[in-house]
Amino acid sequence: MGKERSKSKFVGLRVSEEQSQVLSRLQQNSNLSKSGILLRGLELLSEYYSLGLDQPPLNLELRNLEAEAMRHAQALRQIRKRGEAIGQMVQELSNVDKIIDKHQANKSTLIQILLDIQAQNHWLPKPALTWVSERLGVSWSEIYHIATFYKAFSLTPRGRHTVQACLGTACQVRGAPRLLEKVMDVLKIKPGETDHDQRFTLTTVNCLGCCALGPVIVVDGEYYSKSTVKELERIAAACE
Amino acid sequence: MKSIRLEIEGDIVKAEEGMTILQAARMAGIDIPTLCYDERLAPYGACRLCTVEITKDSRTRLVASCVYPVEEGLVVSTNSERVRKIRKMVLELLLPLAPTGPLESLARKYGLEKSRFTAERTDCVLCGLCVRYCAEIKKANAIGFVGRGIDRDVACLPEVAPKVCNSCRECFALCPGGKVVLESEILLLPSVWQK
Amino acid sequence: MRRLKSATDLERVRQEILAKRDPNKPCVTICSGTGCHAYGSEKVYAAFVKEIQGNGLQEKVDIRRTGCHGFCERGTLVVIFPEETCYLNVRPEDILEIVSTTLIQKKVVDRLLYVDGNGKKVVHEGEIPFYKHQSRIVFGNNRLIDPKRIEDYIAVGGYTALAKALLEMTPEQVLNEVIRANLRGRGGGGFPTGIKWETTRNAPGEIKYVIVNADEGDPGAYMDRSLLEGNPHSVLEGLIIGAYAIGSHEGFVYVRQEYPLAVENLNIALEQARERGLLGTDILSSGFSFDVEVHRGAGAFVSGESSALMAAIEGRVGEPRPKYIRTAVSGIWERPSNLNNVETWATVPLIINRGSEWFTGIGTERSKGTKIFSLVGKVKNTGLVEVPMGMTLREVIYDIGSGIPNGKRFKAVQTGGPSGGCIPESFLDLPVDFDKLTKAGSMMGSGGMIVMDEDTCMVDVARYFIDFLSQESCGKCVPCREGLRQMLKILNNICTGKGKEGDIELLEELSEVMRDASLCALGTTAPNPVLSTIKYFRDEYEAHIKERRCPAKLCRELITYYILPDKCQGCTVCVRNCPTGAISGGKSLIHVIDQEKCSKCGACFEVCPPIFNAVVKLSGEPVPASVPSGIKVTHKR
Repeated sequence: MGKERSKSKFVGLRVSEEQSQVLSRLQQNSNLSKSGILLRGLELLSEYYSLGLDQPPLNLELRNLEAEAMRHAQALRQIRKRGEAIGQMVQELSNVDKIIDKHQANKSTLIQILLDIQAQNHWLPKPALTWVSERLGVSWSEIYHIATFYKAFSLTPRGRHTVQACLGTACQVRGAPRLLEKVMDVLKIKPGETDHDQRFTLTTVNCLGCCALGPVIVVDGEYYSKSTVKELERIAAACE
Repeated sequence: MKSIRLEIEGDIVKAEEGMTILQAARMAGIDIPTLCYDERLAPYGACRLCTVEITKDSRTRLVASCVYPVEEGLVVSTNSERVRKIRKMVLELLLPLAPTGPLESLARKYGLEKSRFTAERTDCVLCGLCVRYCAEIKKANAIGFVGRGIDRDVACLPEVAPKVCNSCRECFALCPGGKVVLESEILLLPSVWQK
Repeated sequence: MRRLKSATDLERVRQEILAKRDPNKPCVTICSGTGCHAYGSEKVYAAFVKEIQGNGLQEKVDIRRTGCHGFCERGTLVVIFPEETCYLNVRPEDILEIVSTTLIQKKVVDRLLYVDGNGKKVVHEGEIPFYKHQSRIVFGNNRLIDPKRIEDYIAVGGYTALAKALLEMTPEQVLNEVIRANLRGRGGGGFPTGIKWETTRNAPGEIKYVIVNADEGDPGAYMDRSLLEGNPHSVLEGLIIGAYAIGSHEGFVYVRQEYPLAVENLNIALEQARERGLLGTDILSSGFSFDVEVHRGAGAFVSGESSALMAAIEGRVGEPRPKYIRTAVSGIWERPSNLNNVETWATVPLIINRGSEWFTGIGTERSKGTKIFSLVGKVKNTGLVEVPMGMTLREVIYDIGSGIPNGKRFKAVQTGGPSGGCIPESFLDLPVDFDKLTKAGSMMGSGGMIVMDEDTCMVDVARYFIDFLSQESCGKCVPCREGLRQMLKILNNICTGKGKEGDIELLEELSEVMRDASLCALGTTAPNPVLSTIKYFRDEYEAHIKERRCPAKLCRELITYYILPDKCQGCTVCVRNCPTGAISGGKSLIHVIDQEKCSKCGACFEVCPPIFNAVVKLSGEPVPASVPSGIKVTHKR
């Protein structure tokens, strides 16, 4: 790959001009779609480096494929050189190692360890979970049950900005569902989802304890009360 | 082992300390229906079909007999009005989730011809037999629970299942709902990464 | 930091701290709980620091960021000592005036004062009706201390109860005092605390645990959060005293991870207590050792159930187990474990210091002491209130809460969270205590008190709670999981106009089985919101089912929006705000809503100027025939 001069977009992913041409040629010569090419490439890389990506489920729609390709690519921060990918993986795993050591590699602190990994990475990457499973001696079923049981954890990368809408009873009674609708309209995602550009993750939460401001939303730790659609658009636009 | 005397459906039963009411009843030949119970596995207490009414010191309660330990002087009713109501409703709630199979005949036994409820999925009652068997007997943990509440589900773990399930398949026989049945479908069971 | 080695040591340090504090020196206290933080209390603090330094007053005026004061509707709260002048709704822009008027000129800033029902302004915090009717024996210290400084807690007498218990009393004496005080658990169960301690103490086994349940999950309740954020030492002191009485040397605090400030302040408090020898080995040279580990929750309401919480501490999934064997006998790792709520632990030092006789003098016959409630929803003064057991709901909602805002009518008050129920107007004179509220079909619960008015649909309230529980249930047992699934379907149908005859009876039938056969208290109490709303508001259910009408005009599928032709002034505000372009009509022409395009979002209802009030909600009645387009408005104002 030569020096990148200009940036291009391939299925929403930023790649150099040369890379984009190579990918387009690969796509023309196969019968995979653009996003299918990306996914296949990531699979090959992952098998090579045991990064642990799954076999794609057989019944995904194209949109899901694109989203999945974006997510994996963003999480691996746009693989350009093989060495960089390994270096990054080693760094991430050693971070996880430090977290496990901080809790004395004690099985009973599994949830605390996962909370720290989630806080550091904004999600639970598979390599991190593999490492936890090996070091603590806990089964995958235990880890998956915990990771899917608790709302704090995400098995897919979360957006750079978190938007939480309070649905506690007091906010509910003051019109929280209507506010949530407005937020969904502005961000174009549903609660629990992250948008395609990975800017926002929208979640609902039960009672932030500032019921006097209800209905409340929190964006990156900043509280907003009774926001109008215009205010929401302004807040969203200010988030890169 | 200390001997414990209790009364089940009018019969005096001599059980051993550490037994559950269900074990004592089965030992005495008294029938209590179950769904999520398997002798080889630790009792789970999830289906509540084995609910019985117990009276002790003039206090009456409803408990799951598969997990409640026997106590001296306990009086157990396995077929009271309240118990039958519970069993019938549990079956009525589960029937749409597993319309053919062992639940069908059990439902008829309790006078339930069809259910007033509908369900979106028709293959899993979340009894956990597959999960527990794989964890406790095979020690493989290839299949596990995911999620909670009404979104609770059972999923094959992509890290483990492809390596072990095809050559094992022992949990198939346990499944009352029919989910863990078709071998070609093992790899298509919801992967947690899809969510 | 010198370790305290005896009661005299503690007292000497306390005197030293007090000696350095001049009670007449002005002190600006700024409420810094999460609620006021949301209002910008950090910016208020920064503004004060800047102004005070700018005026060269830093030696003459102290500034203290305190725990939550409780009057959350009017944050940011600023109280200036020694006069205890209370300013409400303070914003950074007000600081200039406060510093020059109050700190320098010693005069009061009128516009920031509380105004009572008669228009009279109230200067002193204690005289504001919101506070006057309360009895803040547990919560009151929040306003005096900076939670990040143990010196503040010691200055108000903190840890004297611990010294008394460890150095002057035997564990049995401490236990008996708590039993005599008749303290009942404040987390919702209301179980006699002393009895639980006794069971744990007498259970076989050397190793025993004590646990603080700070998983506060009831939506709308945040008392524990404010107590843990604002006065973590009070909880810690109670915990150590309890551990001493029970014979435990290891404790856990299980805090929701949604409470980052509480986790932070708690960790700071633990460190400071350890440094002073008030926690850890050989506390106050008494020979008693005890330490605490903090566990964060990870976002699950059900993990606040005691057996689920203990499973989570063990590192397993936080699912409840059947409690045929009490957790006090077999809890964490099958060892005797005593779990109590935050507020329960915080009450213990008071009982030790002032005696069980004093404590039993407050409250009702079977519910002693005070309770902190979160009074929220459709009420003027929302916030955290602490009242003696036995005060009536009416007194709390009207005397302290100042009643319903916007001239609306009271409809119900919801207590006990998802395990509780709704209490209608006819029961407003019920005294608040454990047993009376249960008899009325609700329960006191952890203290959430959500006021509802005429615009609240009670069927929607039931649906909201069942929706909440269906996601928060662990999903293990059939009656709860499948019962909630079907209840939710039925309630969704009723709220969208698809209810059928027999739905109410089916809900009741499901409720009975869920109550009788669920594995844990989440399932057995899940039907309460449904049953209590059916009991007191059956007419609303029937209106939804039989007439497709929502009496509160809330349920979207059952309402239509209509612009009254003789009130519309043709201002076009609604036309411009309609997201689907359903309203036709230009300036000075009567606006008409095209019902086919209307998405029932309510935007027109929200934006129509109040002096016109032209948009109305109709439910259960046919929409009047549309006025033809292009008609001019009449009665132009």
